[in-house]
Parts: sequence; structure tokens; C-alpha cells
Amino acid sequence: MKYRTEIGWLFVAPAALIISLVGLVPLITVVNYSFFEIFILDARFWVGTEWYAEIIGSERFWASFGRSTLFSAFVLTIQIPLGIAIALCIPKRKIWVGITLALVALPLLVPWNMIPSLWLSLLNSETGILGRILPNLGWASDWKLSTPHTWAVIIVMDVWHWTSLVVILCYSALTTVPAAYYQAAAIDGASPWQVFRHIQLPKLHHVLLMAILLRFMDSFMIYTEAFPINAGGPDGATTFLAVDLGEEIRAFNYGPSAARSVIYFMIILTVAWMFSKAQDMLDCGERS
Amino acid sequence: MTFVYRYLPALKVTALLAFILFACLPLVQMTLISFTVTLPKPSAEVGSLTFTNYTNIWNSPNLRSSFVNSIAYVLINICITVPVAIPAAYAFSRMSFSGDKHLFLAFIAFRITPPVVLTLPIFQLFSALGIVNSVFGIALAHCLFNLPISIWILQGFISAIPKELDETAFLDGYSHPRFIWKFLLPQIAPGIAVTAFFCFMFSWVEVVFARILTTTNGKPISMAINSLFGFHTDIGLVMAVTTAAMMPGAVLLFAMRTHLSLGFRVGRV
Repeated sequence: MKYRTEIGWLFVAPAALIISLVGLVPLITVVNYSFFEIFILDARFWVGTEWYAEIIGSERFWASFGRSTLFSAFVLTIQIPLGIAIALCIPKRKIWVGITLALVALPLLVPWNMIPSLWLSLLNSETGILGRILPNLGWASDWKLSTPHTWAVIIVMDVWHWTSLVVILCYSALTTVPAAYYQAAAIDGASPWQVFRHIQLPKLHHVLLMAILLRFMDSFMIYTEAFPINAGGPDGATTFLAVDLGEEIRAFNYGPSAARSVIYFMIILTVAWMFSKAQDMLDCGERS
Repeated sequence: MTFVYRYLPALKVTALLAFILFACLPLVQMTLISFTVTLPKPSAEVGSLTFTNYTNIWNSPNLRSSFVNSIAYVLINICITVPVAIPAAYAFSRMSFSGDKHLFLAFIAFRITPPVVLTLPIFQLFSALGIVNSVFGIALAHCLFNLPISIWILQGFISAIPKELDETAFLDGYSHPRFIWKFLLPQIAPGIAVTAFFCFMFSWVEVVFARILTTTNGKPISMAINSLFGFHTDIGLVMAVTTAAMMPGAVLLFAMRTHLSLGFRVGRV
């Protein structure tokens, strides 16, 4: 077990210091701004919780919140099982492992602002590979006018972009399963499903929890990728939480955007807290 | 069910190939466009094969310097992140101190904080410190998400090393820092490589901080691409820059493939 010593603080101090500078200090600034009406930074006056009341009371906020939640739900239900499945499909021969992982991880290397451009050019009805095939399968070339089609494009794009991360994380956890477990399973005549359910899945728990946390939060707050696909449309149907915030920041509405940031950070904190609770539960389950 | 099991190996290969095809499709499209003439020119017809998009990158001082900027800020970021993350990961892995769980929770919370939430104050803070429009500013801002993830990855590697190594070293009279330097670092070298790779990966492609922190100077590749969009966008050039921007990552990825395939360990506190 770990030994108890307060020297630990010395070791984490540099990391804590940097995170304070780029995370905590800006956060406190945002909290401070969120209670003021600010025209220019030198002239501001106290408005109390007015911004918060305005945001929480607005229909627009809850609509965006709902859309972001739905989007995250789609992303998680597709990416997590798909990621596990692909990780299980990776061959055992070492040379193939390296090549498959390298190929699978390629989408992670594309600059984020180029991802929508890539997909838009792929779907371009004159020059795109998919854009020329899909209309024959019933996909309308004016898909930008349709809410389900726009959603589908953004979801497929996100699956393309991020499933690789889930694959890499899951694969890394699968390699920690000792070979003896598989041999024992083979002797007992366990089916592939039983091997997955009782040997592989338990090893994946912790990594999956982390993958779910990262994927949930990044999809819930999707910003750079989603907006350029259809400018939040059609008719605001793909305006997610972070897009609203981005708009207010660009309009230099310091107060409201700060209040919004604080509300979002509260959501983040709740999620992180649930994550640590879930981790504790996993630990308890393992010990008993 | 037995029917499925009999064909399981074939199914696995098919699924994997289908996924790789899906992953590569947009990249194939990108590469194809990057070799195509997309703006009408006197010398070549639109749609014909060309290498000029790539020579154009080389001939544009803006694009060339953007590559230098990107490489610079990623390297600076790794040089800040890794040395700071190693002792922290060691502490989280081996020691229990008051508030350790809360501190780790705080790190995780900042990792999942989207940059857009903190853009405004970070811009103000960094202007006050005089590090906007420089690669150093971006490198520091990216620590917000790279540092927690580095601690998390390294912590998994350190936890995989038997405790006895520490204990014998301490009995031999080594201090903590000397032990980390002489024994721990060689042991977790693959872990450091994986961590550096992930820092590179998350930092290279990030755009929100990169955008607000470079308005006039020090633009990285992603922002240089953005400025190529205009009334007459040369999409061929845009795709060529994107392809070129992926190259360093692809080379690193290929070099790292054995480490990734050995399975880097991911742990917990």
C-alpha cells in the first residue's frame, strides 16, 4: 500500500502551481466577472446574480443543454462499444498491432479546425468521394437543410475523430491481461463471450471509466468541430452549449459569458465528482 | 451463437479493415485534393494533377514559420509538462498525503474543462504577463489539459514498478530525487515516450487557445490554415498544408507504434 507522508505535497507542488496559473487563477477571474456588468474592464458595476438568473431562466440555455446531452448520449453509445470491439479485433501478431494502431490513430492528428473542412469536402457533391456516392443511396445533396442529416454528419465526424482514442485506451488495458488467464479459460472451454465478460471486461473497467469521462466532457462541450459544419443550423438545431458561450465571448459580453463559464464549470465539477465516486465504487468492488 | 464463433476470426479481420477504411477515407480525400489544381490558373486546368500546392507551402514564409512555431510550442510544452508530471505522478502513485484525492480530482476537473470556458481570463492574464503572440504562451496554456493527462499516464507506469525497487534504494541511502533520477527514470522511459507523444498529439491539434493567444505573431499551423480561407479559397493548398501538418505526427506515431502496441499502462489513484 501507499505510505503516508506529507512530503508528497513537495512532489506535486510544481504541477499544482502550473495548474493554478493556467486553471485556477483564470477560473477565479471568471467567477469575479460573473457578478458584474462590464462595458470596459475599468468601469464595472455590481449586478449580483442577475446574469445567472437570466441564463438559467432562458429557454435557449436549456435547449442547448438538451441538445448537448443528446449529442453526448449518441457519442458515448456509439464510440465506447465500437472502441471496445475494435480493440478486441486487433490481431495478436506484434508487427500487425503496431501498423493497425498507427493507422487507427491517424484521425487524432488532424488539426481540429480542419476536421469540418475535411468532412465537408468529403461530402461535396461534385468533388467528394462520399458526396458523389451517397445521392445514389438516397442521401439528399441539400442535407444542410435537414436536422437529422446535419446531426448524422456531426456524429459520424465525431466517431471518426475520437473512436481511435477509445481503441488505444482499451487496447492498452487488454494487454495487461496475463496470458495464463486465457490458457485457464481455454482449458475450461470458455466461449469467446465468456472470456470477454469475465476476463477482459473487468480489466477494462478503469480505462473505460476514464474514456467515458473524456469522451463525455469533450463531446458535451464540442466547439471547434461542430459549428463550421452547418453554422449551428439548420435553425439552431446543432447549437450546442459551447457554441452559445463562444458567441458571447466574441461579442465581448464579459459578464454574461463569465456567468455562463461558471455554470459550465459547475457541470464539469459535478461530472468529475461523479467520476471519482465511480472510481471509489470500482475499487471497493475489486477488494471485496 | 456457435455459428458466429466459428467465423469469429474472419469477422474480426473484416470489422478491423472496415474501421481502418472508415478512418482513412477522409484522409484519402484530403491527400487527393492536395495534389489537385483547385483555382483557375493560366498554366494549369482546374482538376489536373499538380505538385504546386506543396511547393507553394515551401515558398510562403508565413506557412514555413507556422510550422516552426507549431514545433516550437509543442516542444516547449513537453519540456514543461514531463519534468513537472514525473514527480507528481510518483507522489500520486506511492504516497498518501492529506488532500491527495481532492487534488487529483481538481487536476481531472481542469483536464476536462474546455478551453473556451477560460479563454477570456487566460488572454487577459497572459497579456498582463506579456506572453501573448509568442509560442511560450500557447505552450503554457496547453499545460491545462496536458499536465493532468501526463500525470495520469505516468502514474500508471510508475504503479506497475514493484515497490521493492524504492525500498532497496532507500535502504542503500538514496534520497527521493536521486532515486527518481537514477532508478525510476530508466524504468519508465517507455512511459515518458508515450506521455510525450500524447502531449504532442493533444497540443498539436488544439485550436481554441492557439487562436486567442496569437493575434498578430507566433501563429501555429492550424491558424495559418485558417488565414488561407477567404473569398477565393485555394482548397488544394489548404489540404496540402493539412497533409503536411499531419506528417510529423504520422512519423512519430509510426516510431511510437511498438510502445503503443506494448500497451501503455493506465492506472488510477
